[in-house]
Amino acid sequence: MIRAEGVEKWYPNGFHALRGASLTVNRGEVVVIMGPSGSGKSTFIRTFNALEDFQKGSITVDGLALSNDVRQIDAIRREVGMVFQQFNLFPHLSVLENLTLAPVLVRKRPRAEVEQQAMALLERVGIAEQAEKFPGQLSGGQQQRVAIARALCMEPRILLFDEPTSSLDPEMVREVLDVIQALAAEAITMVVVTHEVRFARQVAHRVVLMDEGVVVEQAAPEAFFTAPRHERTQRFLEQIL
Amino acid sequence: MGTPSFAAKRLPVAALLPLKRLRAQLAPTVADGLLSLGLLALIAWAAVQLFGWAIGRADWAVLQLNSMLLLVGRYPLAEQWRLWLLGGLLAAQAGLSWGLLRAWPRADRREQGQLWPRHDRIAVVVIILLALLLPAGLRLAGPLQGRWGLLAAVLLALRWAAGRWAADHWGGRLHRRGLKLLGLLWPLLYLLGFWLIGGGLGLAAVAPGDWGGLLLTVVMASFAMALSFPLGVLLALGRRSSLPVLRWGSVAYIEFIRGAPLITLLFIGQNILGFLLPAGMSPDRVWRAAWVLTLFAAAYLAEAVRSGLAAVPRGQLEAARSLGLNQAQALVTVVIPQALRVALPTMVGQFIALVQDTTLLSLIGLLDLLGMARGIMANPEFLGHSSELYLVLAVLYWSCCAALGLGSRALERRLDPRNLAGSP
Ligand SMILES: Nc1ncnc2c1ncn2[C@@H]1O[C@H](COP(=O)(O)OP(=O)(O)OP(=O)(O)O)[C@@H](O)[C@H]1O
Ligand SMILES: [Mg+2]
Repeated sequence: MIRAEGVEKWYPNGFHALRGASLTVNRGEVVVIMGPSGSGKSTFIRTFNALEDFQKGSITVDGLALSNDVRQIDAIRREVGMVFQQFNLFPHLSVLENLTLAPVLVRKRPRAEVEQQAMALLERVGIAEQAEKFPGQLSGGQQQRVAIARALCMEPRILLFDEPTSSLDPEMVREVLDVIQALAAEAITMVVVTHEVRFARQVAHRVVLMDEGVVVEQAAPEAFFTAPRHERTQRFLEQIL
Repeated sequence: MGTPSFAAKRLPVAALLPLKRLRAQLAPTVADGLLSLGLLALIAWAAVQLFGWAIGRADWAVLQLNSMLLLVGRYPLAEQWRLWLLGGLLAAQAGLSWGLLRAWPRADRREQGQLWPRHDRIAVVVIILLALLLPAGLRLAGPLQGRWGLLAAVLLALRWAAGRWAADHWGGRLHRRGLKLLGLLWPLLYLLGFWLIGGGLGLAAVAPGDWGGLLLTVVMASFAMALSFPLGVLLALGRRSSLPVLRWGSVAYIEFIRGAPLITLLFIGQNILGFLLPAGMSPDRVWRAAWVLTLFAAAYLAEAVRSGLAAVPRGQLEAARSLGLNQAQALVTVVIPQALRVALPTMVGQFIALVQDTTLLSLIGLLDLLGMARGIMANPEFLGHSSELYLVLAVLYWSCCAALGLGSRALERRLDPRNLAGSP
């Protein structure tokens, strides 16, 4: 589904954030990316839907090569959903409108049909009764669940999560992780940047360690956490476990 | 003043008895009490003086004789029915919008019209005062008083009826659609207004040179507002564009306009534009001034919108793009609405300034409200009665600006998602 090879990125200020990062994500696979702060995790997954550009290497998503072609980029973004650390819900739209905006505007689907689907999705993430409210009226955990439902409403083939629980109060982390775990059970392709070890162990098919702009190690969760091969992984695990 | 009064303000004032409440508000400490008393005395004294003057020494004949001049200038008498018709339509539409907007809490907000009951009522009282008492007090001609009162009655009656109807009959969805429709009615009425005022297409044409007084002021101000708004948004977007030509063009334009006094621009518009454009091509003096006002206001609006755009977090655009919206869709549906909400108070401030700026038109020889008044004052027959005129002018300008201010504050609250919070 995603094939990134030797991706290098320099930020406009000259900072070399990705230094040849490579990763392949297969259909239906859940890949968890871990790594120390500043290692380029966010930058890397944001290249997958062209929120960040890159200068060297190549990325293909669902058979489409990422290039500067705007049409191509829009086509890829339609198929790749993203959930942000800061939720980024649209505060001026109701919860329901947050969900229906893109499918109606981008996929040109009839509003009534999309609303039905949106309500079903809200039901699934457990907040159907909040559909008419505005994002500012919801708790962090509820907002993040709306954000997930919003991404799902576009029926993406791939979902990217960038630290979906990092700005949540501890008691709300579980409810969001539960939703993501339920999605994983439905064989949606997902790339999740997170520091939640328990989640990674339970849900991931593969865990990836990034450091200093490269993918250092990738392995099945058990092997990753119990028998890391790379010295940098060992150091990282020592710090977080 | 100082800390004691501040602490006192945070008492649950509403819970106290009226008299005690008044005391808590006006005189939480002895010093505050004295200050309040002094200020009240001063206000009372000023009011008595003003009334004494208004009833005793003032001579309102200058207004009785010139009321039509002040209202519409030299607009031909036979065609003035068009203006009253337009006035009636405007009053109806305004009443309709007001009533609906007022009764427009979204589905999650059931206490109807809770968002601005106080301002709302104050506005009603002010309108009644202005429409009935002021003309009566000035002893204006009977028919004029009657029509003025009729306009106010239409406005208030429709506000009431629409509010009632909306509160009873409209659920959230239908309601929102209705408001959209209403939004479409305004531009339509706007075009209709220009047709009624200017004539053509079957109506006798009335040249812009014959428009004057309050009519001209309102036409100029509303024209400039309506057109400077989209222009300002485009300029603000241009300023943030990644295309250097667009960016620098916008910056240069905005900075040039903001660096030049309006009056010089108006003179440039009147004189130089006339030379630059071939004869016949150059628009009429009034329209030239209207365009200058528009282009002037657009630069200031652009700055207001820019600050609004800057206040929208980057993540909003990213979220919209990651959902597959293209740049234009993301701007129109996600970024600009939020930016405009932030910029609304500043923008309305600019609009109010614009209304006041129209007084400069009198300096380039147009007979707007102020220009008309100056013309009347120059007439030896009315020598020495400028105070009366200026007072009425002040009230009229104040009404226009106050209406803008109140309307915008109402809209601001209505649009603020925090005010929709279900938790009290
Ligand atoms: N817009 C930018 N301009 C310049 N440097 C940037 C920019 N964004 C990020 N960086 C730098 O790039 C590096 C990688 O950033 P990135 O956000 O991808 O890290 P991360 O692994 O997601 O870290 P965290 O766990 O803190 O989110 C960091 O050193 C950061 O300072
Ligand atoms: Mg990050």
